[in-house]
Amino acid sequence: MTGYVQFVDTAKSFGPVNVVRKTSLGLDRNSLVVFLGPSGCGKTTLMRMVGGLDEPSSGSILLGGEKVVRPDRRRGMVFQSYSSFPWLTVEKNIAFGMRYRKDLDGAEKAERIGHYLDLFGLADFAGSYPNRISGGMRQRVAIARTLAAGSDVLLMDEPFGALDALTRERLQVELRQIQIREEKTVIFVTHDVEEAVFLADRIILFSRRPASIVADIDVAAELGPDRPLEIRETQKFFELRNKVLHLIRNETGAVV
Amino acid sequence: MFSSLFVFRGRASPMVEFAVSVAAAVIVVALWELAARAGIIAPQFLPSPSRVVIALWTMLTEQNLLWHVAVSTARVWIAFLLAAVMAIPIGIMMSSYRIVGAALEPMIDFIRYLPVPALVPLSIIWFGVGEETKIFLLWLGTFFQLVLLVADDMRRVPQEFVEVARTVGANSRQVMIDVALRWMGPTLLDNLRITLGWCWTYLIIAEIVAADSGIGYVIWTARRFVKTPEVMAGVVVIGLIGLVTDQLLRLLHRRLFRYL
Ligand SMILES: Nc1ncnc2c1ncn2[C@@H]1O[C@H](COP(=O)(O)OP(=O)(O)OP(=O)(O)O)[C@@H](O)[C@H]1O
Ligand SMILES: [Mg+2]
Repeated sequence: MTGYVQFVDTAKSFGPVNVVRKTSLGLDRNSLVVFLGPSGCGKTTLMRMVGGLDEPSSGSILLGGEKVVRPDRRRGMVFQSYSSFPWLTVEKNIAFGMRYRKDLDGAEKAERIGHYLDLFGLADFAGSYPNRISGGMRQRVAIARTLAAGSDVLLMDEPFGALDALTRERLQVELRQIQIREEKTVIFVTHDVEEAVFLADRIILFSRRPASIVADIDVAAELGPDRPLEIRETQKFFELRNKVLHLIRNETGAVV
Repeated sequence: MFSSLFVFRGRASPMVEFAVSVAAAVIVVALWELAARAGIIAPQFLPSPSRVVIALWTMLTEQNLLWHVAVSTARVWIAFLLAAVMAIPIGIMMSSYRIVGAALEPMIDFIRYLPVPALVPLSIIWFGVGEETKIFLLWLGTFFQLVLLVADDMRRVPQEFVEVARTVGANSRQVMIDVALRWMGPTLLDNLRITLGWCWTYLIIAEIVAADSGIGYVIWTARRFVKTPEVMAGVVVIGLIGLVTDQLLRLLHRRLFRYL
């Protein structure tokens, strides 16, 4: 098994509760992988282990062949809530990603901040505090911060879960474009099948707790790398979406 | 303009609210004045507001009231700052490291419920009747409460913030300073403001203990001679100091935490 991110016989229990069954899985570099599965099945736990925030009970996780032992800035987290620091402006929130980097001088940091402010359309809000901007903007800030930190793996746990449909759609398109342009590896957790199919190169479908892989769907082979909004109206998209929905009903016996 | 005042959970402009607050206070004082003047209640029980004001004036001009106020304020602030300087780090340690929490929490929880007045004799035995006893009693009333409030605030720092900081390379100390303390700032200042208020309520107890200065002493002495207007004037002064301090700290809160 190969991959940039590798689960090697990874299993996790919290005390007597088995949350992730022994799992082996390799994820390609610069791909966007969606973890899909019933509520409480262990998706967040899987992701936290990649982040180095939780330790596998057995087995290990490798990043570029190297064992993950603790969090570091190569893997950035984006959460659904509490994603940006309320006491920092948009600009300072992005700068926070580089706060502990000694390899960049002030000018380089300023340049990177400028780059990500532009990339996410945040330049006009640089001096605003998070509670003065929309939820979508706050999630953009969080993504920009992890990119500024220099993460090349983004761990996103239902990052768009609290957004309205339109904002959500726009952020999905942006995320996909930026993931390709900035060459990032993304693990994305969601409950939303449409979102999963629209974003993913690959969908890993998990069973109910304890999580184990029940399906591995190669979306990129069907839809290709580019995902304009219109792709949602194509026959292929519908078929894929229905296929995933069927798999969920039949394989996990649950509604996501 | 005023109709929204009568709507359930309605909103009113700050000016309108201020007007209502002032009007209510004026009405209460006016009723009090009327009741006193009509002789419904004997003046040694309830002197009229005007007599309280006159007493206040005499105390200011002839009895060094300002000096007593200064002494009391100094006692409160010394005890309060002492309590804060100790409670903040200890509270933070208590909720950050289980060993500290497990060791201190039950003890502090117990001491917190001991009534301060009951400890007066003990504190006299320990510290005599000087300043130390007064500071100790005030400190006692605030420190243990504050420690638990700080520990609670620290526990409420969202795990997401801590984890974001760790993934961008912050060590424990940096997480504490750059994230936890920043997040706690607003609630911490609120809790300090509230415990400062409690500190003033313990002042009277502390200054009854063989003091020869302070507002508590002034009130207690006036009581002995049934000078009710002076007793009331003393109480009013404490109330005013409380009100002003509270408003100043609220102002500071708004200034410091503009992002809220
Ligand atoms: N620190 C922990 N201690 C004990 N049990 C835990 C802990 N973290 C998670 N669990 C349990 O592990 C299981 C999986 O949790 P996890 O958060 O990974 O699920 P999830 O798939 O992300 O769920 P959701 O879709 O609701 O976000 C749940 O039953 C949860 O109660
Ligand atoms: Mg989850």
